[in-house]
Parts: sequence; structure tokens; C-alpha cells
Amino acid sequence: MKFLTQKWLQRGFGLLMLFALNTAHAQQDAKVLIRQLNQRMQVIQDYTASVQMHFDIPGVKMRDMQGKVFFKQPGKFKIKAKGIFFLPKQNPMQDVNALLMDTASYTTVISGYETIDGHDCAVVNVIPLKTDNELILGKFWIDVKDPLIYKSQMTTKNNGTLETSSIFGAYKKYGLPDALLIKVEVNKIKVPKMMSVDLNKKSAPKSDKNLKEPGYIQIKFIGYKINSRFPDTVFTDDAQ
Amino acid sequence: MSSFGAILKNELYKTIRRPRSYIGIGVISFICVMLQSAFYQDGKEILSFVTQQFESTFQIQGEVLNGNLICFIVLQTLIVQMPLLVALVTGDLVSGEIAQGTIRFLLTRPASRTQIIIAKWIAGLFYTLILLLVLGFFALFVSKWIFGDGDLMALNSEGLTVIRADDIQWRWGLAFVIAFLSLGVVAGLANLLSAIMDNSITPIVSVMAIIIVFTIIGMFDLPSFDLVKPFLFTTHMISWKSLFEDPVPMQDILFSCGVLVVHIIVFLLASIWIFNKKDMKA
Repeated sequence: MKFLTQKWLQRGFGLLMLFALNTAHAQQDAKVLIRQLNQRMQVIQDYTASVQMHFDIPGVKMRDMQGKVFFKQPGKFKIKAKGIFFLPKQNPMQDVNALLMDTASYTTVISGYETIDGHDCAVVNVIPLKTDNELILGKFWIDVKDPLIYKSQMTTKNNGTLETSSIFGAYKKYGLPDALLIKVEVNKIKVPKMMSVDLNKKSAPKSDKNLKEPGYIQIKFIGYKINSRFPDTVFTDDAQ
Repeated sequence: MSSFGAILKNELYKTIRRPRSYIGIGVISFICVMLQSAFYQDGKEILSFVTQQFESTFQIQGEVLNGNLICFIVLQTLIVQMPLLVALVTGDLVSGEIAQGTIRFLLTRPASRTQIIIAKWIAGLFYTLILLLVLGFFALFVSKWIFGDGDLMALNSEGLTVIRADDIQWRWGLAFVIAFLSLGVVAGLANLLSAIMDNSITPIVSVMAIIIVFTIIGMFDLPSFDLVKPFLFTTHMISWKSLFEDPVPMQDILFSCGVLVVHIIVFLLASIWIFNKKDMKA
């Protein structure tokens, strides 16, 4: 009986060690992928590009618009366009870069492998170490052969979950996408009939107040100019 | 000058000379300036009531508070008041003269009764046009001068529609044409009631009462009211707002315009018929 218990304990310990080793290996792999990703990002000090934005947000009708994007390391980002447009509060183009660069602020682990648009990707979970961080969990689908983020999912404390899908083209070697599709969870807007003065329209049927619907913003990047050393004033200047 | 031309000139002159004609112009100017001042001071806070539903998820980029938005808000606010201001002048055009006894003097002139009532109707439309021009000047031009141009974030019961600044001028133009047709219906109704009644207050109050009742019916989503709504001219008076949807429901707008034009014609023909039949007592 004593012999049997000892044998089971040995097996249990063996399994635990295997799990620990596997996790350590997964962490190591994730770190390598992130490091390779960061090396690619570090080449770019700044970039500008023309952007075409398409909006598909529940309760909002807005035509496509064009603008210009400005980015500077580590996380300065601005889209300048003539008119009104919506961007997600948790901006993936700004926040992902800043987050991944600060390698001491999070821990990573590979939770699995998936194929995204024909690319074998590792699903890297990024867990911030600080509890006061707005981000709770970041999941990044990173190509294992050519480290690029093809898909990301960021779960935040206050702004729900935000998903992005990237399409890479001519600027793949810099890690810059040709197109980015952002999916956001949106509370359906409700405007009282009295407030909108739509007296000849029927009120929308009542639905679950907390029901969230997916909203999409598609951004196409055209003609990147990398490391052109533009002034910082573009981020503070309000002119469109 | 023909007898009709002379009578029309006389009616236009009387409309311009009457002090009450300036009440409407004063009220519109005052409301516009008041709203512009309020939005200049606290516009961002006022707007946050609308945008807060989005602000948990999105950052709204660009200048939302601009001249186009202020004009949209002013027009929306004045939907209820403008018909009352039109009725204040047009509801008195015939009945006021009957009450004062001057109608008998007017009828001694060579113009026919039909020409007289048409001249009064045109004078009413002229006043309506002046009111709208004042509104357009303050609501659109002054607002753009103060707040600048930009995309319009129009609020409707289905959510928000963002209209690009370069796609908005034609919408304002058509919106003011529809507003003219809408107020033309009110002027025509006031003219008709003015031809029926013999004192100057009752037609004005009656027009106001009709508009208030019709508007209240339009507000409620009750099945019994839904049957009546398409036949109420107040339902079609706010069709200008549909111009700020994307895509623009042109068929619905044209139908509403058709309904308003039919109302104008029916009210005018009824006024002519009643005025021709009317026994003008001293």
C-alpha cells in the first residue's frame, strides 16, 4: 500500500514537472516571438501614411473618409482628417505597440496554435503585472515563422473587448499592415423620440438595454513614409 | 398697374407696416441668439448628453460643435414655434379687416373678391418667406460665422447620422424649401379660418390649437393614432429632417411635399370659395 502511494506521488510529481517545464517553454517561446516582434518595431522611429476609413457602427451612419496617420515611438499616434470620425477608445495601433515594448510590465504565455488566413500563429497571452492597468488580458495571434500580429484581442476593464485583424502587404517587413479591421462591442444607441423630434417615425422596439452589438472600423493604409522625422507638434496641433 | 397688382402692393405694405409682423422676426432672432450664446458657453457639456452613449467605447474625433449642428438644433427647436408666429400675422389678414370694418371699404375697389383673397394669401406667404430668411440668416450664416463649418452630427430616433460638410449645402437649401411649404400650409389654414371667422383672435387661436393637437397625436405611438397620422399635415411638416438621413428617403420626402402642396391648394380654394360667398356685415 505504501509502495503504491509512493508510486502515485512520483507520477504526480513527474506530471507537475512536465507541466512546469512545458509552461516555461511556452513562456520562453512567447518571449522570443515578442522580442522578434519588438526588434521589427524598433526599426521604425516614426511613420506617416494616407488612410481610408470605413465605419460600420450600430446606430451610426457615417460615410467613408480619408485622412493621414502619424505615428512616433513609443506610442504617439494621431489620425488627422477633415471632419468627424470615430476611433476606439482603446486604440490598438497606439496601445499595442507601447504595451509590447515595455517587456517588464507583463508576463506572456502561449495558450495554443491557430491558423489565421493561412499563417500558422501562436496564440500569445499577455497578462499585465500591474493590477491598475486598464488592460486585463491581451491575446495576440503571432505568425511563428515571420513574427507579425495577424489578430489581436484586448479585454479591458471599462471598454469591453476589442479585436483587430491585420492584412499585410508591401510593408510587411516593417510590421506595418496594409489594412486593419477593428471590431468593438457597442451599446446600441437609444435616442428618445422627443429628443430627436422624429414625430413621424415610430419608436424603435424596446430591447435589452445592456445588449452589445459588434461595430467595425476598417482602416486602409496607403503610401507609408517611414522615419521621415516629422515634428511632434502634429500630435498637439488641432488643425485637421 | 392692374387692380390685382395694386391690391397686392397694398396688402404687402400693410403686412410690413403692422407692428405684430415684427414680433415673429424678433422672437426668431432672440431664440437664435439665445441658443448660439448658450452653445458658445456650454456647448461641449450640452453635447456630452448625446455623445456619452458612445464615449465609453469611442473617441469622437473632429469638431462636433459647429455651425451646421447649431443650425440643425435651432431648426428642430423652432418647429413648434414657427407655425404659431406665422399664424399670428396670417390669421388676422381677413378677419382683422372684418372686425375693424375696413373690409367693406376694400370691397369697393375694382378688384374682385378672388383677387383680394389671393392678394392676402400671397402677403401671408411673403411674411412667411421673410421669417424663414431671417431664420436662415441667423441659424445658418451667423452660426457658421461663430462656430465655423464642419460635418453635421444629426440626431434621429435611429441614432446618429454624420453628414459630411461638402454634402450639406443642398440639404439646407431643400430643408428651407420644405420649411416654406410647411409654413405655407399654416399660412393657408390661417387665411381660411380668417375668411370664415369675423374676429381677429379666434382664427389665430384656432390655428395654434389645431397644430398643438395634431403635434400631440404625432408624438404618441398608439395604434389608433397611427391610422390618423398620415392625414395630418403636421406629420409632413417635419419631413425636412429626413434630408439629414443617409441615404435620403427622397420618395417619402416628395410624398410629404406633395401632401403639403395639396393642403396649400385646398386651403386656398376653400378660402376663395368662402370669401366669395361671405356676407360682409357691418
